[in-house]
Amino acid sequence: MSAVRIVPALAAVAVAAGVMLWTLVANRLPDDARGAPRTADGRPNLAGVWQALNTASYDIQDHAARPAMAVIPAPARTGIPGSSRATPIELPAPPVRALGAAGGVPAGRGVVVGNELPYQPWAAERKKENAERWLERDPEIRCFMPGVPRATYMPYPFQIIQGSDVILVAYTFAGATRTIHMTPAGTSPSSTWMGWSRGRWEGDTLVVEVTDFNDQTWFDRAGNFHSDALRVVERYTPASPYHLMYEATIEDPKVFTRPWTMRMPLYRIVEPDVRILEYRCVEFVEELMYGHLGVIDPGAVK
Amino acid sequence: VRGRYLAAGAVAAGVVALAWRGAFLPPAGGAVPRTAWGDPDFQGVWRYEGATALERPSQFAGREYLTDEELAERARVEREQAANRLAGLEGDAVGRRSVAESPIRGNEYNSFWQDHGRPRQVYRRTSLIVDPRDGRIPYTPEARRAEARSAARYGVGPFESFLDPDTGERCLTDGVTGMMWQGPNGGHNRIVQSPGFVTILHEEYRDRRIIPVDGRPHGTIPQWFGDAVGRWEGDTLVVETTNFLDRTHYEWASIWTRPSPTLHLIERFRRISADTLEYTITVEDPATFTRPWTAVIPISKLPEDTQIYEYACHEGNYAMPNLLAGGRADAARRGAR
Repeated sequence: MSAVRIVPALAAVAVAAGVMLWTLVANRLPDDARGAPRTADGRPNLAGVWQALNTASYDIQDHAARPAMAVIPAPARTGIPGSSRATPIELPAPPVRALGAAGGVPAGRGVVVGNELPYQPWAAERKKENAERWLERDPEIRCFMPGVPRATYMPYPFQIIQGSDVILVAYTFAGATRTIHMTPAGTSPSSTWMGWSRGRWEGDTLVVEVTDFNDQTWFDRAGNFHSDALRVVERYTPASPYHLMYEATIEDPKVFTRPWTMRMPLYRIVEPDVRILEYRCVEFVEELMYGHLGVIDPGAVK
Repeated sequence: VRGRYLAAGAVAAGVVALAWRGAFLPPAGGAVPRTAWGDPDFQGVWRYEGATALERPSQFAGREYLTDEELAERARVEREQAANRLAGLEGDAVGRRSVAESPIRGNEYNSFWQDHGRPRQVYRRTSLIVDPRDGRIPYTPEARRAEARSAARYGVGPFESFLDPDTGERCLTDGVTGMMWQGPNGGHNRIVQSPGFVTILHEEYRDRRIIPVDGRPHGTIPQWFGDAVGRWEGDTLVVETTNFLDRTHYEWASIWTRPSPTLHLIERFRRISADTLEYTITVEDPATFTRPWTAVIPISKLPEDTQIYEYACHEGNYAMPNLLAGGRADAARRGAR
């Protein structure tokens, strides 16, 4: 073989090797087109610690700032007949007054697509009543499991552990964990707080159908609620190395007139060695729930 | 001094693990299943299904192993008790204290809550504890007294406030130390792995350990379940846990349930067959034990369709208000006398 023929042959081999190497590297690179990581088997890799950065935990709808979640109406002022007096805005309710600005509610954009919640008339009334009786009724206050999707946008990080047949979602609040079944896993034997989750991949989106809820959990602190007919369809779509888009469609024919959707980005916590720390809040609500029921109240201030 | 204790504990754990390897089962055969990223794969639902107690019963004092006859008899009893459980029997017939003899006066959790479903496995060892050699927990005298006090109060009271039941009845936890081999309703653990993490989800109290296995150091934040950091030593997962909260003032809880700031755990997980994890735990706490102790426990893999269900204990803890109402009624009666 002459040198004239060897050179193009070498060049061809070099190009082929280069293509192979590039292909290898490209395949090994765990990133998709958006730079989001992938697993060894080519699925989006959602493993990591995530958090919503919004004010939906107060109210999933658009909301103005207010002095507290628990308020009393501005009292009518009386005084000298014929003289007008300024009245206050609504005031923090006595049980939360000492918290001052730490108990205040910042304004925030909602996460509900279109902002409207299609409550049936009775349910709209019930939502209003829930808001007025927040301190007595919100399951968060008693450290009950937060339900879905509320757990997603509480102001704490959560971790996704992407296993082979199941994906765990480990939340901070109340140590709640969900098992998302990626293979057939039967049905839930009873209604639950965190639902029964079945997952599947639609392209690069993890779609999770959540059913078998009880009627005890809420969507936020503003009294938005559901019944045991709730069905949630969540969609987790990688958007970059640092965020994913989260969507939850809510169906509950007992409470709403039509399905509705909330949507928000979730952000990856990027600090090194981040981990979910325990928040075993049961211990912190026992005095509230049981203190007055005993022969002795450990919290009674002398 | 503490550092030396830890080192001694680690060495003891290693020696004991070597000495007792295969104590329960024949050595591993076949390849260890691996995850897509090459770690040994422990994923699935696991539970200790053995009949061997943690501590050596007094009838076997001085003996580490059952004789062939005792082993056969134990197997026969297990089969009989399993059949009796399925037949709905209680008490002696299923190897439990009878409801009538219970100090809880007729309100003992019956076997419905503790059903093992199938016969427990019998092993030749007379205790899960392999070190010390007597198979007993080496309590300090003070810890032994505290255990006796809390055991005597369990289900009996008095219950003057929510602080008086043990941590389990308060729906807090039964603690991390016994998590792999006990649980009031069966002790199921689901292990899920993703690169850099091994997660253990325990059904009871929805207890959870997310163990980093990515080379990070221990953190400094104390928690009920401490700060667990894992590493692979060959195909063995070694987990060291420190930084436990101090809840020793919950004095009616047993040592299993309440964390102590001087508690230190070294655990080793090794898949010795397709359906068995060999779990070795070395427990060290100078405030409770006179020396570190080690147990080796064979953990069984349950069928693939086994689920961990939601454990909404606190959410449905009607027992607590009832217990406190009972406490008030007791106090009123005492006052009336």
